[in-house]
Amino acid sequence: MGSIAAVLLQQSIAAVAADAQRRDPDLLPEEVSFLFGEEPKTPAAPTPRTPDGHPYLGGFWKGSRDTKPVGNIGKDLPGFKLPLTPAGDAALQHNLTATVDPEALCIIGGIPRHSASALPFEIVQNKDRVVFLYLYTYFREIPVGAQHAQDPDPTFFGDKVGRWDGDTFVIDSIGFKGAPIWIDENANPQSDAMHAVERWTRPDASHIHLELTVEDPKFYTRPFNYSRTWLAGKPGEGLKEYSCSENNVDRAHLGPGPGPIRKDGTRGYDVPPLPAVPPSPEAYDDVKK
Amino acid sequence: MPCAAHHSFAAEFDGTKPVRLVGTITRIEWTNPHSYFYLDVADSKGHVTNWACESGNPGALSRRGWKKGDIKFGDKLIVDGYLAKDGSKFIDARRVTLPDGRVVYGGSAGDGGPGDSASQGK
Repeated sequence: MGSIAAVLLQQSIAAVAADAQRRDPDLLPEEVSFLFGEEPKTPAAPTPRTPDGHPYLGGFWKGSRDTKPVGNIGKDLPGFKLPLTPAGDAALQHNLTATVDPEALCIIGGIPRHSASALPFEIVQNKDRVVFLYLYTYFREIPVGAQHAQDPDPTFFGDKVGRWDGDTFVIDSIGFKGAPIWIDENANPQSDAMHAVERWTRPDASHIHLELTVEDPKFYTRPFNYSRTWLAGKPGEGLKEYSCSENNVDRAHLGPGPGPIRKDGTRGYDVPPLPAVPPSPEAYDDVKK
Repeated sequence: MPCAAHHSFAAEFDGTKPVRLVGTITRIEWTNPHSYFYLDVADSKGHVTNWACESGNPGALSRRGWKKGDIKFGDKLIVDGYLAKDGSKFIDARRVTLPDGRVVYGGSAGDGGPGDSASQGK
């Protein structure tokens, strides 16, 4: 009897598991772990260094679950509230109501947006260059010890120069393209007057940290900060080919702005999960004939 | 590469309008940044219209067990998802029942769509 009961229990468990799978399939764990790194289970190895003694920042860097809300440049401000000027507020309203997400149109997100993004990135480094490689097949190359160009041509990543300040790699960027660029996933604005100063450190082998200061007197009443730590990816992990514009059917269907923003500062609807049996399209009277 | 959102779910789809399509496949686009398949769907009066279903990219779907060869023209699919905000016959395909009965997740990681806890760091 015991063995029969055990078999029946096993079958019952299997049926429940199959039913759960039928109702609510989910992302694969590997997809979630591609976005989020894991804290090391043993004390992290010391900061690797280059032959000339600087910290080596290279590696594949993934977000932490502690970074909340991701995609929001106001993450570290009370209520996530950015100090917008009247012009900045107008630019935000324009972004929300009249611009489609530039990244969805395969336009470079630039910085600081890439640093606020959920997506992992890679850094490669030599004594003359530190290069950021981003998932959407964009790159940012920072010359070490260079001076800003005179009247630089506006670009999405700006005119950037790097220098070592002790163990901190400082990237100073000016010369950005102006509105309607989104500074983050929430469609907050940035202007061509923006000045971004990034201070990157690698406190140990498993972590890289950014202290960012954004100064943009056209759109923000005062400079503000954004602080974030990423975790080292697994050995062998890295970027692969990504073709944004191969078949961008989205282009014709995307509305302006990112859609609703939740109270937690992320994007999306506060709605129940997908019903087990949703209604047919005939339940809605606003589908185009 | 796992499918990673290149736009917010809520910029394109209405999370308050879940929908089920039951139809036959007329076209398949196994492409980046999303895969698409198109269904002929009959309404209660027998009138047939063609719907586009947006799904994850080929790599993501393959890893979830959905290979390109699992569907072909004329196959019947059940697709649960959300209507586009622009009112067109276009949905986000988040839960797809394949012809062999398997159910796979069709969404994009981190897009903030209903059930995508990754977008909130969970």
